[in-house]
Amino acid sequence: MTQQELTAYILANYDGKLTLLDTGRAEPMFELKPDDLLEVTRRLRDDPQLKFDFLCNMGGVDTGQRLEVVYSIASTTKHLRMDFKVVLGYENPSIETITEIWPAANWYEREMYELYGIEVKNHPDMRPLLLPEDWNQGFPMRKNWDAPDFIRMPEL
Amino acid sequence: MLLALVSFELIDIFRWAYQLLADTGLPPVWVMLISYAVLGAVMFGVLALLALFLVWWERKIAGHIQQRFGPMRNGWHGWYQTIADAIKLLQKEDVTIDARDKFVFFWAPVICFVAAFLAYICIPFGKGLIVADLNIGILYIMAVTTFTVIALLMAGWGSNNKYALLGGMRSAAQVVSYEVPMVASILTVIIFAGSLSMVDIVKAQQGHAIFNWFVFRLPFGPIAFLTYIIAATAEANRVPFDIPEAEQELVAGFNVEYSGMKFAMFFLAEFVNMFTVSAIAVTLFFGGWSGPWLPSWVWFLLKTLGVVLLLMMFRWTYPRLRVDQLMEFAWKFLVPVTFANLILAALMKHLGWYW
Amino acid sequence: MPELRTEEYQINMGPHHPSTHGVCRLLLTMDGEKVVDAVPYVGYLHRSIEKICENRTYAMCIPILDRFEYVTAMSCNYVFSLAAEKLGQVEVPERAEYLRVIMLELNRIASHLIFFGTTAMDLGALTPFLYGLRERELIMDLFEMTCGQRLTYNYIRVGGVSRDIPPEFVPKCREAIKIIASKLPDYEGILNENPIWLARMKGIGHTDPQQAIAWGVSGPVLRASGVKYDLRRDDPYSIYPKFDFDVAVCWNGDNYDRYLVRIEEIRQSLKIVSQALDGLPDGDIRAKVKAKFKPPAGEVYVRIENSRGEMGVYLVSDGSEKPLRVKTRGGSYNQLQFLPEIVRGRGYLIADIVAIFATFDVIMPEVDR
Repeated sequence: MTQQELTAYILANYDGKLTLLDTGRAEPMFELKPDDLLEVTRRLRDDPQLKFDFLCNMGGVDTGQRLEVVYSIASTTKHLRMDFKVVLGYENPSIETITEIWPAANWYEREMYELYGIEVKNHPDMRPLLLPEDWNQGFPMRKNWDAPDFIRMPEL
Repeated sequence: MLLALVSFELIDIFRWAYQLLADTGLPPVWVMLISYAVLGAVMFGVLALLALFLVWWERKIAGHIQQRFGPMRNGWHGWYQTIADAIKLLQKEDVTIDARDKFVFFWAPVICFVAAFLAYICIPFGKGLIVADLNIGILYIMAVTTFTVIALLMAGWGSNNKYALLGGMRSAAQVVSYEVPMVASILTVIIFAGSLSMVDIVKAQQGHAIFNWFVFRLPFGPIAFLTYIIAATAEANRVPFDIPEAEQELVAGFNVEYSGMKFAMFFLAEFVNMFTVSAIAVTLFFGGWSGPWLPSWVWFLLKTLGVVLLLMMFRWTYPRLRVDQLMEFAWKFLVPVTFANLILAALMKHLGWYW
Repeated sequence: MPELRTEEYQINMGPHHPSTHGVCRLLLTMDGEKVVDAVPYVGYLHRSIEKICENRTYAMCIPILDRFEYVTAMSCNYVFSLAAEKLGQVEVPERAEYLRVIMLELNRIASHLIFFGTTAMDLGALTPFLYGLRERELIMDLFEMTCGQRLTYNYIRVGGVSRDIPPEFVPKCREAIKIIASKLPDYEGILNENPIWLARMKGIGHTDPQQAIAWGVSGPVLRASGVKYDLRRDDPYSIYPKFDFDVAVCWNGDNYDRYLVRIEEIRQSLKIVSQALDGLPDGDIRAKVKAKFKPPAGEVYVRIENSRGEMGVYLVSDGSEKPLRVKTRGGSYNQLQFLPEIVRGRGYLIADIVAIFATFDVIMPEVDR
């Protein structure tokens, strides 16, 4: 299966749970609802045509209007790659953990929680990763985060 | 005239000095005490100088093996680098931890240092240049070099630090394990020499140019020498056996909490130990101080420094063994080999098939 | 006789340690001499690079991302430029692509030489460190000749490279390749057959390939477990399809194999560099890109094969001159996550942990960003 056929295959077989976003690039970008996350990712991993066994990247994005969690996955055997995102709002953003599907997500989710405040349910080990254990000054990567010693670059 | 100069023996100076002292008319007890005190001071001075020289030499050799120069700035080729380092260590703050075991912490470097020097009572530096020719010479040396184990254990315990404790226990286990093959290889040599006295051992190797050296008494000599050198490297805590002080793992192991002069004592004791085991190797295997033309103490120094060079080259070439591999090597390989060697040598000697 | 009471104790292989490359704290739970568990604590080197990049223009982000993983700074520059070019649909001229590949591969060789030196040093053989760094000096001279820097290059920019190579680069580069290729047998001669080295490295730190993939491990660690996955082959970028090179794979997944894989990768990189030098065309070195580069709104994830594994950048742009989100992903992050899995319950000693950590070739700035 080539990259181009991947989009068609997913749209056909995944009951519309993954909606395509238009990026104009070969690697498709999908959107997923938070409730469908575990089920769809499990199917993506176990699907014999796709076999997405490698979680490349996972992170939070603050676009100014909403929070997103983006996942990038790849298949080591089938030479396929795709991205998908889950859109969350600013109030009580929470998401299921996918460490049981791709254990690699462990640290990524810990980092996402402490930097963005996106709560991760059922995570085996939710401790701060990069920030100190006693950090209580908010979620630094959010766009509306401010601190006395955070100096923004002046406009050029 | 030149011949007289060349065949000048250092022992004559000592005899002359002793004669001078005896002539002053003091009671014999005093003469003996003063002479031993002076001798002790001379020995200590010589060994301290040797230790400083060895530290400098090690750094130069390490540099040249690594394609660089080593110390070059302090004097010609950095000859007084060690003196500068010693002065620096002397004026460092003696950092002590509150929670240490005071008695043990204080006495560990002292014991280590003293034990390192005690062995030199029996080492022949040249013809007649031996402080005391004990008739159990080599046995005494073996007994005394084991004191360092106590010092290492004390250092490990007294520091109140898990790393130091691990380092101390490992080094104790290592030194004790490698004592066995070391003593067994030495015993093989004793069989050829027929006596435990160091002077007799050197005498037994004289004559027939170098072919009387115990290292050439095939097939037991070379095997004994090889096992001895391996065991001696482990005794001196050098790579590939320097787990107790492995910088990369235990951050200097048992002496992690020592600073300043106490650390300098451990450090110098290690180099003195290295010289001790090399001196023993030279005396037992390479004919001690015997050699033509040059004074005997020059031969002794040259040969010992040769063995020290060998030990230094080991350090800068090989990776280090893990502690369980080290113990396995000692007990499963070295001990059977040395004992087999010993038994065969004894059998041969008994059956009269050997000279 | 009463039962001896034993208990496990915890030892801190703390942030200040000669063997953890960078500042990483490993909390080891020990049972006597054996390590029962190893928990990494990271974040000592967190410089919030991602937050800083959100406040800088694309051109300003490049030197910041140099520090993301300074041992292979060319790769960091490159992956960000690749992401920006994909978003802005910039066509990179061919000479620039060749120069990029030469610099990337030279950087890979330099990084593997450091790996060789520091691994040997961690295991006690103090001399190969200087041999490795001696050869790395040749590469550092080449980089200094090109962009003036030895470690953080700021060379690969959006649209191409920042300056052209001077005329003495090509002959010096060929000479450097020849010297390094001739010294590799020396390095192997010191260590490969050394019984002490084999005893310390063989059979230690076995990684299961399926588990490694599930934990997101890539690069030489994955290839040493038997999975032939190299992004230069499987997900090609730049002009790598034009070059003829092999992918180094080993089967046992232990320390020794990781070491062998990296030494072989040095050889393959030397091959690529000499092929690139042979085929270097003339032309522009940079596409016409505005100083205030404004790619259209969108997001993209690009990944390249770094010396430590997969290095990726997830770039989100909102059409302005500053990126909205730069999420960087380094290979060492996943490998450090994976470390407790292969240490737990295997009965390794601290010396083995040191060896495993060294052969994983974890660089802390990549983990902490």
